[in-house]
Amino acid sequence: MKMNKEATGRVHFTLMDAVRLGRGYIRRRLDRSLINIASIALGLSFYTTMVISDLLYSTSARLGGGQVAVESYQYWLVAVSLVVSIVGITNAMLIAVYERYREIGTMKCLGALDRHIVLLFLVESFYQGLVGGLVGFSFGLASAIVITGFGAGFDIVLYAPRVSLLIIFVGSVSLAMALSMVATLYPAWRASKLNPVEALRYEL
Amino acid sequence: MSYDNVIELRELQRYYKMGAETVKALDGIELEIRRGEYVSIVGPSGSGKTTLFNLVGGLDKPTNGSVFIDGVDISQLDAYELAWLRCRKIGYIFQSFNLIQVLTALENVSLPTVFAGTPHDEGLKKAEKLLDQVGLSDRINHRPTELSAGQQQRVAIARALANDPAIILADEPTGNLDLNTGMEIIDLLHGLNKMRGLTLVAATHDLKMIKASDRIVWMRDGVVERIERG
Ligand SMILES: Nc1ncnc2c1ncn2[C@@H]1O[C@H](COP(=O)(O)OP(=O)(O)OP(=O)(O)O)[C@@H](O)[C@H]1O
Ligand SMILES: [Mg+2]
Repeated sequence: MKMNKEATGRVHFTLMDAVRLGRGYIRRRLDRSLINIASIALGLSFYTTMVISDLLYSTSARLGGGQVAVESYQYWLVAVSLVVSIVGITNAMLIAVYERYREIGTMKCLGALDRHIVLLFLVESFYQGLVGGLVGFSFGLASAIVITGFGAGFDIVLYAPRVSLLIIFVGSVSLAMALSMVATLYPAWRASKLNPVEALRYEL
Repeated sequence: MSYDNVIELRELQRYYKMGAETVKALDGIELEIRRGEYVSIVGPSGSGKTTLFNLVGGLDKPTNGSVFIDGVDISQLDAYELAWLRCRKIGYIFQSFNLIQVLTALENVSLPTVFAGTPHDEGLKKAEKLLDQVGLSDRINHRPTELSAGQQQRVAIARALANDPAIILADEPTGNLDLNTGMEIIDLLHGLNKMRGLTLVAATHDLKMIKASDRIVWMRDGVVERIERG
């Protein structure tokens, strides 16, 4: 026998609800979030350093300066560093899931569906990616200016095409958010599949 | 729909396979609980009280038998309907409170209204009212760590009431509280049962809690040993 339509309804959890709750989690468990943000920022600043240096060297070359370029093997290092930061975040998020076993179980008692739990974790990682991206870009820009400065002059950034810089900025921050969210997918999925009975019995 | 028996358990069994052994946590429970009734579930440790709660609350699936809530066999519900049942029909109270540590008392109590789809402001208002009713109007912005055990359990009770459920399931609600605080919680729950007509099912070792109830279900080794009038 199924419940009558008027007797049953749908549980809700909108993106706005997830944002509200996710922000609360980030704010009040700031240490955890900062680890993830630092991890993203580190990997990303390495990436932006390379990309912006490349841009600044080519700007310098266009203006008649010497021909220096970022070696291609350095891009391999960048790729590796990004993978390392993904692994770091996945790890930190898995620990966050263990820490929240009981809370996840409790939320399921209050009506949360699996995908609501996933959404909550993804919202958190979105914000962490955003902040990590902004911080990482700033560090990357600064270090690119310093690195290229000795060869090309410290004011070369002023001659670099604005549009290219903007594209790099948007690309870097988007990359950071994407990496952060990809890294969180597996932990979030694990969390959502928790059986409430086991989750509630779990003692940390 | 209004069934007299808000909860009906039929031949309810829950076995756990532990390697070659089978633990019969529940072994054929037959029980009806009427709307507005206050029932205490009593029994030694390991007799199956928590297992029973998990099944009645739709948190676990029976090995055999059925749980009917308002005449509906809940094993027939899909994930969405089950979530809705947990959200709207049942309020859970635990021995260890299980509040969300990063949220304030107010946010904890309003959380179930989020899942119920209540507008944010309305949910907060409701939560404030409930916290007032459990005597915590001056603590609404405190986090669980900033509250005493008794106050935390009051928050948990307010949270359990947030969506006006028909049934309150309380698993040893006074188990982590001292005598006086426990007494206050019992009075609070008993009052809710009487004034709101809530069906209250509580597992307990607490004699005072047992005395207040309409019926006492004695369990042993996964079966109902006897049922007493309170
Ligand atoms: N996940 C599980 N796996 C295996 N056995 C279990 C599991 N959960 C409970 N049991 C067993 O089921 C029986 C009933 O346990 P339950 O937790 O329901 O008892 P209880 O009456 O709530 O006890 P207490 O008063 O100590 O809380 C016990 O023998 C227990 O060991
Ligand atoms: Mg128990």
